[in-house]
Amino acid sequence: MSPKQQDVWQGTLALMILKTLQGLGALHGYGIARRIEQVSGEKLVVNYGTLYPALLKLEQEGYISSEWGVSENNRKAKYYKLTRAGRKQVEKEAREWAETTAILAKFLEAKG
Amino acid sequence: MRSLRAFLQRLFGSLRRDERDAELSAEIESHLAMHVEDNLRAGMSPEEARRQALIKLGGAEQTKELCRERRSLPWLEDTLRDLRVSVRALLQVPGFTIVAVLTIALGIGANTAIFSVIDSVLLRRLPYRDSDRLVVLWEHNLKGHKPHNTVSPPDFLDWKKQNDIFTEMAAIADQRVNVTGNGDPEQVVVQAVSVNFFSLLGVEPQLGPGFLPENGQEGKDNVVILSHGYWKGRFGGDPGIIGKKIALDGRAASVVGVAPEDFDWFIQEGSLTSGRPQVWRPFVFPAMFANRGMVGRFMTVVARLKPGVTPGQAQTEMDAIAERLRQQYPGYNGKWGVTVVPLRQQLSGNLRPALLILFAAVTLVLLIACANVSSLLLSRAAAREREIAIRSALGAGTWRIARQLLTESVVLALIGGSLGAALAFCGTNALLGISPKNLLDLHAVSLDSRILAFAAAASLLSGLLFGFLPSYLSARSAIAETLKEGGRPATSSRGRRALRSGFVVAQMALALILLAGSGLLIRSFIGLSGVDPGFDINNLLTFTVALPRSKFSSDSATLVFFQRLLAKLESLPGVQAVSMDSYPPFAGLGASTAVHILSQPLLPLNDLPNAAVQTVGPGFFRTMRIPLLSGRVFRPEEFAESRHVAIVNQAFVKKYLAGGNPLGQKVAVYMRGLEEKDNPPCEIIGVVGNVHVMGLDEASEPIVYWPHPELPMTRMTILVRTSTDPLSLAGAARDQLRLLDAEQPMANIATMEQLLGDSLARSRFTMLLLGIFAGAALVLAAVGIYGVMAFNVAQRTQEIGIRSALGAQQRDVLRLILGHGARLTLLGIGLGIAGALLATRVLATLLYGVKADDPLTFLGVALILAAVALAACYLPARRATRVDPLVALRYE
Repeated sequence: MSPKQQDVWQGTLALMILKTLQGLGALHGYGIARRIEQVSGEKLVVNYGTLYPALLKLEQEGYISSEWGVSENNRKAKYYKLTRAGRKQVEKEAREWAETTAILAKFLEAKG
Repeated sequence: MRSLRAFLQRLFGSLRRDERDAELSAEIESHLAMHVEDNLRAGMSPEEARRQALIKLGGAEQTKELCRERRSLPWLEDTLRDLRVSVRALLQVPGFTIVAVLTIALGIGANTAIFSVIDSVLLRRLPYRDSDRLVVLWEHNLKGHKPHNTVSPPDFLDWKKQNDIFTEMAAIADQRVNVTGNGDPEQVVVQAVSVNFFSLLGVEPQLGPGFLPENGQEGKDNVVILSHGYWKGRFGGDPGIIGKKIALDGRAASVVGVAPEDFDWFIQEGSLTSGRPQVWRPFVFPAMFANRGMVGRFMTVVARLKPGVTPGQAQTEMDAIAERLRQQYPGYNGKWGVTVVPLRQQLSGNLRPALLILFAAVTLVLLIACANVSSLLLSRAAAREREIAIRSALGAGTWRIARQLLTESVVLALIGGSLGAALAFCGTNALLGISPKNLLDLHAVSLDSRILAFAAAASLLSGLLFGFLPSYLSARSAIAETLKEGGRPATSSRGRRALRSGFVVAQMALALILLAGSGLLIRSFIGLSGVDPGFDINNLLTFTVALPRSKFSSDSATLVFFQRLLAKLESLPGVQAVSMDSYPPFAGLGASTAVHILSQPLLPLNDLPNAAVQTVGPGFFRTMRIPLLSGRVFRPEEFAESRHVAIVNQAFVKKYLAGGNPLGQKVAVYMRGLEEKDNPPCEIIGVVGNVHVMGLDEASEPIVYWPHPELPMTRMTILVRTSTDPLSLAGAARDQLRLLDAEQPMANIATMEQLLGDSLARSRFTMLLLGIFAGAALVLAAVGIYGVMAFNVAQRTQEIGIRSALGAQQRDVLRLILGHGARLTLLGIGLGIAGALLATRVLATLLYGVKADDPLTFLGVALILAAVALAACYLPARRATRVDPLVALRYE
């Protein structure tokens, strides 16, 4: 990925993480990665590793919080969940995203 | 908001680093384990499962690195690491660090000290509203080439009427007035000012209503405003002072205000009192002031420019007004113009050149200090070459290494700078201690934020300056070659040696410039101190007695009072002679006027010769020990009543009566009026030697001496020639004065030596400071050349060993090393002389009796510098001669 694409990816990735956590509650990094892959219909093929800096950034911004827990397979894992600010942020970013795509869609439909 | 939160979290992200690293590893490990389990379930072999999981993650270490970058601020971490490494590295070489820190402290300290003075004299806000719109107006004496002459009331009134560039104008006249009642009588400095003076400056009294417009009218002017200091000093800061009465020359005036603490109005140039005001009272313009024939020029004028008007435009407008007045009153204004001076320039005018020169001098000192530290860093870099090469081989980039080295210099600079700022604090107050009164308009200098910011900026800048070249050279030096060379650090050392030699040459040159400057000032000062003042300054007590006109309205009362005072003083034990003078030497005051020598044609007033007029008491020339050159001195009967006689000095004869016999000539001295008929001619009865009245650096001007009855002035300076310490007689003199009049204060008590010392104070102060800085420069330059030579000898040990082994004598080795030092020194001196020839031109205004390119001074300082430099080279050279060939060859 070129740096520009990566920026876009980081931005959308953050929203995807937030949305995933909104749907599934507390989840560990691996689970979030698999979930995003499943939802996207295996179309998004990226390194799982890029997820972790994104999680760190969201945590620093106060949208998510983390704590250690135990997975269904009895494994120690770090679980992430939305904070109150995070829940608001999901709504806001989802709305903005919808508006942006709607505009873009209209733009692309218009017959020039 | 969110990004600020994230920034703060990252800022503290470097804390608890190990703990957080462990947590990150655990998280990645748990991620991989879960992924591996899923892959196993999908039927992969254990190795394949882990491999695929790692590929999908994008590498475990890479992921951790991505997180670490996000976790904290990488540049901050690097900087902190650089700082840690720097401090550790500097502590390892304490000798180097101490020398470098002290060198910088000296440079920064001197700069900060001078800057703090410049800041308060030239830069700081003045205590008036919009002070950059305030200007001072002078009359320009076109004939006498005196652009800053005090102003006459009628001219002031015309300027005020005719201009449309000033919002307001105010006139100020300095006076000394006796205050009586409320304790001892004392003489205070009073400024009679236009009633709008305070409002023009934008200053409200701290207490009381201040002057009202009607206070400017005759009969309603018996009000005063006290200065804060006088209110505290004489009235103990009495809060109920408003409305109380004080007696000025016996006339009651009620207090209507106390000025704020920081308020002051003192323009030394043209001041008739040479003292700071303690009281202000309204200036009343009597009707007779409109008549130009009746009044002289004695006021200072301040004006406020209309918004948007520049001082240049004001000058143009005032030139036009002056031209009109020249046409209108050719007799009175024919040779007069106007000068407009911005207030700031007026206040700092006579200090500005000296301060800027001192600032240039300390900048040179700082540059020399920087060159020294730079040179030290270079020799250190040579010793660290292997360390740097290894770091570079391990993957540190050029920029990264340079940055580390630069951080080290900045750390050095900041430590040195802090020490320097502390030095400056002590130094500045010491500076104020040795600076003469009235020279620096400062009470105490405190290190405020501006000064600290200056010191910090100067340190940082010098750190970058002296660190740049060494770190650049070191970081660039080829890695491979250094390692290959088996530890002999010689690769980049040629460039480095050239650079160090360059530093030595530059230091020598800069030091020579400073030495030349201070040498010139010292010669000038010695020359000045050797000037014969024209009279005997030793054992001469002076003080001023000013009789109030209200009590001494008649001339005869004045004459009698002074005669009785002189008689009483003469009878005191320890007194050899007593006399008095209206304008004694070195007091900075004088009155000069037109004179008409009757044997010469009567010219218009403006074209007549000029002379200073001094009214003296009996025995004046004997008391002062001014030699009588021809004729006779005044006789007792000439002090009883006006007999129309005068004595002139040699300068008068030389300038106006060359070739003829001065004795018996008649001369009209225009002291009583502007017409010939107002001034009865006097006969010249004697010629006396010249006296440097206005200071040793001023040429003797023509003087007419008059006996007191010729012009009975009420303010006289008493001169007492004593056989012991003059000041020990001041008390007895005061008692005699009290016996005559208990309400009469004596003021300005000083010995003639003190007055002379004060008049030389500025020269001495500048000379002393520049001398200190030049001394510092000399020491730094000596340390610099010593360091370079010592380093060279250490590096050339092997070569010297081989030379000795091949038969070189000690003498040859000595010549080898000293020759190198001498070449650098001579080159530096040559460049320095060239630089000094340019630089010392700016000193020209401060010099007396010596030219800015005085060859003797230049030769002298060049010899001093050469001697010091060679002495500094001699120590390393001696060490070189002791090199044992065997040891030297085994050394590697």
